[in-house]
Amino acid sequence: MDTAYLLNSLWVLISAVLVILMIGGFILLETGSTRMKNAGHIAGKTILTFSISSIVFWAAGYGLIFGKGNALIGFTDFLYSGYDIAGVKLSGSVFFLFQLAFAGISLTVAFGGFAERAKLVSYLVFSVLFSVFVYPPIAHWIWGGGWLSKLGEQDFAGSTVVHLTGAMGALAATILLKPRIGKFNKDGSANNLEGHNQVFTALSVLLLWVGWFGFNAGSTLSVDGAFFGYVALNTNLAAAAGTVASLIISWMALGKVDVPMMLNGALAGLVAITASCAYVDTWAAVVIGFIAGILVFYSIRFFESKGIDDPIFALSVHGAAGVWGTLSTGFFATKKLAAIGKPGLFYGGGLEQLGVQTIGVLACAVYAFIVSYIFLSIMKHFLNGLRVTEEEEIIGLDMSEHGSYGYPELLKNERKFQVK
Amino acid sequence: MVYCTYKEIRMYRDTHISSVSHDHFELNRFHDELMRHVVELAISRTAEKLGPTPCPFSFFVMGSAGRMEQAIWSDQDNGIIFQNKNIETKTYFIQLGQEITNGLFEVGYTYCDGGVMASNDQWCKSLSEWEEQISEWIEESSWETIRNLLILIDGRHLYGENQFITNVKKAAYRSIHQEHLLARMLDNTMLLKKGVGLLGQFLTETHGPHSTLLNIKERALYPYVNALRLLAVKEKIEETSSLARIQKLPAEVMNSHEREVYEKQFLQLLYYRITYGDHSNYESGHYLVVSRLSRQEKKEMKSIIRNGPHLYQFVRKLIERDV
Repeated sequence: MDTAYLLNSLWVLISAVLVILMIGGFILLETGSTRMKNAGHIAGKTILTFSISSIVFWAAGYGLIFGKGNALIGFTDFLYSGYDIAGVKLSGSVFFLFQLAFAGISLTVAFGGFAERAKLVSYLVFSVLFSVFVYPPIAHWIWGGGWLSKLGEQDFAGSTVVHLTGAMGALAATILLKPRIGKFNKDGSANNLEGHNQVFTALSVLLLWVGWFGFNAGSTLSVDGAFFGYVALNTNLAAAAGTVASLIISWMALGKVDVPMMLNGALAGLVAITASCAYVDTWAAVVIGFIAGILVFYSIRFFESKGIDDPIFALSVHGAAGVWGTLSTGFFATKKLAAIGKPGLFYGGGLEQLGVQTIGVLACAVYAFIVSYIFLSIMKHFLNGLRVTEEEEIIGLDMSEHGSYGYPELLKNERKFQVK
Repeated sequence: MVYCTYKEIRMYRDTHISSVSHDHFELNRFHDELMRHVVELAISRTAEKLGPTPCPFSFFVMGSAGRMEQAIWSDQDNGIIFQNKNIETKTYFIQLGQEITNGLFEVGYTYCDGGVMASNDQWCKSLSEWEEQISEWIEESSWETIRNLLILIDGRHLYGENQFITNVKKAAYRSIHQEHLLARMLDNTMLLKKGVGLLGQFLTETHGPHSTLLNIKERALYPYVNALRLLAVKEKIEETSSLARIQKLPAEVMNSHEREVYEKQFLQLLYYRITYGDHSNYESGHYLVVSRLSRQEKKEMKSIIRNGPHLYQFVRKLIERDV
């Protein structure tokens, strides 16, 4: 058997495993950034929604993205059975699993906007709808031979496809769900509903950071020329720059080194480099990550000032940084590395690639937002609201949705106190 | 004038506070007057229940009241020192302490979160017990007991025997110097919050009900207050107000020009707090509505805030030199 085929398959399977481990990163990120009373629920539902997403991807998602179709959607290859895929130089099953993992991450990002107040049934229904109607069309447009790929849209591992799409789902959800109880005061000022465990949050960032080597470097889909090493290097540099940048900006603007902000900076750097990791020089990776780290700080303040409650900062970390990362290739893509599309503004490509990137960002953001918003509105109507009752929210979703606390010893007494 | 109920004192407060609320010194004289009325009423109420006070005593105030630096709303920090040590007098004065703190509360002084009040056994003791307690605090010299000492140092006589608190504080000063505790006391108040950021912006609250306001208490006044308290202990100055503590500093510690600068700056801070504070309640009174300051005032305020840590560093060097 062909050695390249075997090695490619092995490398991409390792990458798929790394990406699936990122779900673990999201579990720690979301629980660490939220309150104890919702911890068990948040951790558990993340496994549950990834499972739903996996089955939907197998039944429909993959075919809608990679099946034969038109510029907007694919129509074949539903219920994939493990055959090898034309044009892909690795095991079909491995390629499929890798893509399945990406769909799961995008959905998990979207659920950041649901945190601490959505009913379990809202998660279940939206898992299916997002995995059929929101993620696949966008993935098809950019990765499945759709209209944006024809324009030469550069999104190597999914700053737009995965992260921005997820963030737009989160935005639609958080608008429809409205802020958590206690997030905003009557005068519009925001309260800080601090997460219950910064150690979880920090560990989550490390787990995501490592997982991202699968996400980005694995997106080479091949060991050819060991180019994955270069992609991994850029990924690491951007994450590091994002961390340092957000630390500096929080120190300058707030007078303190804010740990959650620094962690958001690392993630923003990772999200931003996702589109550009294979197309830019190492110095540009540092710049892209650094700018993402600053951008995420101001983006978080912006959404909060608009009265939008974003518990896990998905809108800023995955949305704002996703937009910036996608646009960044329009500036920094080099002649040598731009395998798709044209070089960026700083490499003699003029404004053309930047224009293409902008179209991609706008089209995908608008599509993901509107479709998510419509489906969630319909769900809101039929499910008698997306949100738990006020009492349930106060006692916590662990108890209201699952009947037991993630931290039982600590919370049982407090609950007696709260519901009296 | 003798008041018959705390409500009457409260009404007196409410009708007169606005006429004194624009002048820091008048305001603090007014607070003293109110607190004395409360103590007098509490004494007569307790006398009705338990008979006349069994022995001479002193009711003293600490915290911002001790320093004569109360804002329009203020919380309580107070204690009692009585002469004779026996169980009956102790029970009596704790009851009196309770009556006073409840009365103060009714008149608008919120209870102290940390329990630094005359109703608390730890802050209501006989002269000899107070001296023992101070030795114990100094011997233990834990974070908490040093904090207690720092609180006591701002203690100021308000009613009764005026020598009692002075004597207790003198004993404390003596032991602090003997045991070289100044450096520890410095460390205890070391955590300063920055008030002005690297970009020259006010570091206002980003979250919570006081968003966009500046915590003038922690970010501007504390560095001055804490530094001057330590200087007072070091130079054995008995005065409790920060302004008087500056004035009493010997010339060899700080020259008259510097003293004037710090004095003027601290007075300005008090002026800004009284003028631009959000005085809707005790909590909000610590916050400054910076948007109401003029450009010139903002500039001045920032330079004062930046100078606080300088004073603090000056004290640090002075104390570390001596160790």
